[in-house]
Amino acid sequence: MNEIVFTAVFGVFLLFSGLFIRSKNAIRFIAITGMGLAFLVNGWEYFHPGNDWPGGMIHADHVSILFNAIALGCTLVYFLLSGKDFEQLGEHLAEYFALVYFILCGVGIASSFTSLLMLFLAIEIISIPQYILAGSQKSNLKSNEASLKYFLMGAFSTGFLLMGIALLYGSTGTFHIGEMNLGGSGIDPLVLTGILFLIVGLTFKVGGAPFHFWTPDVYDGAPSVVTSFMATVVKAAGFIAFLRLFSIAFSADNITAHWTLVIALIAAATLLVGNFTAVFQVSVKRMLAYSSISQAGFMILALVGLGTLAWDGILLYAAAYSLATIGAFAVLIRMEDYTYEGYRGLGKKQPLVALANTVFLLSLTGIPATAGFMAKYFVLSSALQRGGMLWLVILALCCAAVSAYYYFRLIWAMYFQEGEPAILPDRITPAFKGLLIFTALLVVAIGVYPGLVLNWLP
Amino acid sequence: MLLHSYVLEAGTTPISYFPIVLQLIMALVFVGGVMIATHLLGPKRKGSDKLENFECGIQSQGNARQPMAINYFLTAILFVLFDVEVIFFYPYAVNFKILGWAGFWEMVLFVAFFFAGFFYIIRKGALNWRD
Repeated sequence: MNEIVFTAVFGVFLLFSGLFIRSKNAIRFIAITGMGLAFLVNGWEYFHPGNDWPGGMIHADHVSILFNAIALGCTLVYFLLSGKDFEQLGEHLAEYFALVYFILCGVGIASSFTSLLMLFLAIEIISIPQYILAGSQKSNLKSNEASLKYFLMGAFSTGFLLMGIALLYGSTGTFHIGEMNLGGSGIDPLVLTGILFLIVGLTFKVGGAPFHFWTPDVYDGAPSVVTSFMATVVKAAGFIAFLRLFSIAFSADNITAHWTLVIALIAAATLLVGNFTAVFQVSVKRMLAYSSISQAGFMILALVGLGTLAWDGILLYAAAYSLATIGAFAVLIRMEDYTYEGYRGLGKKQPLVALANTVFLLSLTGIPATAGFMAKYFVLSSALQRGGMLWLVILALCCAAVSAYYYFRLIWAMYFQEGEPAILPDRITPAFKGLLIFTALLVVAIGVYPGLVLNWLP
Repeated sequence: MLLHSYVLEAGTTPISYFPIVLQLIMALVFVGGVMIATHLLGPKRKGSDKLENFECGIQSQGNARQPMAINYFLTAILFVLFDVEVIFFYPYAVNFKILGWAGFWEMVLFVAFFFAGFFYIIRKGALNWRD
């Protein structure tokens, strides 16, 4: 709750401070300080819960607050690592930061909604600033294309989401996800159709196959700074909303019997499409876009599981995946050449940057002792808990092995190929190096001791 | 629940939606029927004058589909914002006495928000015709 109010108000505050403050460093400083404050304000609510708004449409429990803390923490790391690169987007620096704050307001609603109306609002509050951010480089044609594509596709998928909500309301007479009582005997076909529409709408928003077609083009076309945020915190928020909705409203046994196989097939398709297409990419940015699809496939596995393990898994996955991808993108933004060739010889020229990047890539692959391993372990075991999903788990493991190919190819280019890395040396400041190493250490710390995140769960 | 509908409380089956389907069919049949009927029944006088765009009686010059300055769109969008403000003022004017001071302060807050937005627009230079 605190997080929602704070980010919305602070976003407006940033808009106005942009009118009076000319200094770009000052604006960036305000944005970073605000994110730190938001983290504290959100953490305060963890220890002093219970100030829900009247109307009962939002309820922030400990899981919501923990996820908000992960989202705010990752955004703080993102601001610290890539905040300077916001200046490349255009002249309205304060507005870009403000839009990220507004997205986080939507993330806060997505993690704590109890009404389908609030789910819809959250998804829209998250999406609309992204349309603007994706098109923020006005003279860049690819950026414009990404924005338009994302907007048209997003508006279309919102239609599905709304239709699903309308059908569920028509059948149950309530928007409240806790009061739908779908567990009784005899299922209204309207409910099943509604759930199917909701699956389509939400799968689209998180970029799962077969509704993933917008993802590579949008992630590739949008400015790298923006993609870094779109592919991480926002995607994780989509999954939290997805899991929250399905584990509260549709978890009765006679209902899960209808949708578990659909979700399992979506997970399988997403894993296959994401991994096998990523293998053939020549651009690292596009590879990371497809890798985000394949990671989404793993997160969908938590939806198949639906239990305490699923919540553990999705929260760990949100932290592990976001940190590693934000780190990998922070390095990518500093490259002049986005192909694999551009990374050649980085290990010799910038040993620390290459080392941190290696840790991020290992974590994305899921190598033990990194956060990615623990996250994959938890989502896979949650899927295993549900009977009859062994085939899916085996498929996921095979796909993780395939993903090693394209992640290790980058590590190989950095260390074992001779060449001059196309990195911008004046952008690698000691502070940046330090932060990058700190982020890498965080990734390892969560991997060695996942209790760092999970012990906060009730 | 705030949005709980009394109509749906009586129990809903797919057949409850039949009136909507019926209305859809009626709408299609009516619109289609009227269009066909006017086409068949109406008198037809074809000529070059008939096909010309009518604006105000003066012969039109050139094509209307030309690129326009983006400032027009910006002004139009901003106009819509302030137009919506007026929509909130009408109900307030009608209920002025019932809402009392509490309503007054809420209206002041609303106007203050709007004023802040207006201030933002002016400072940002959105209304400067040339930059």
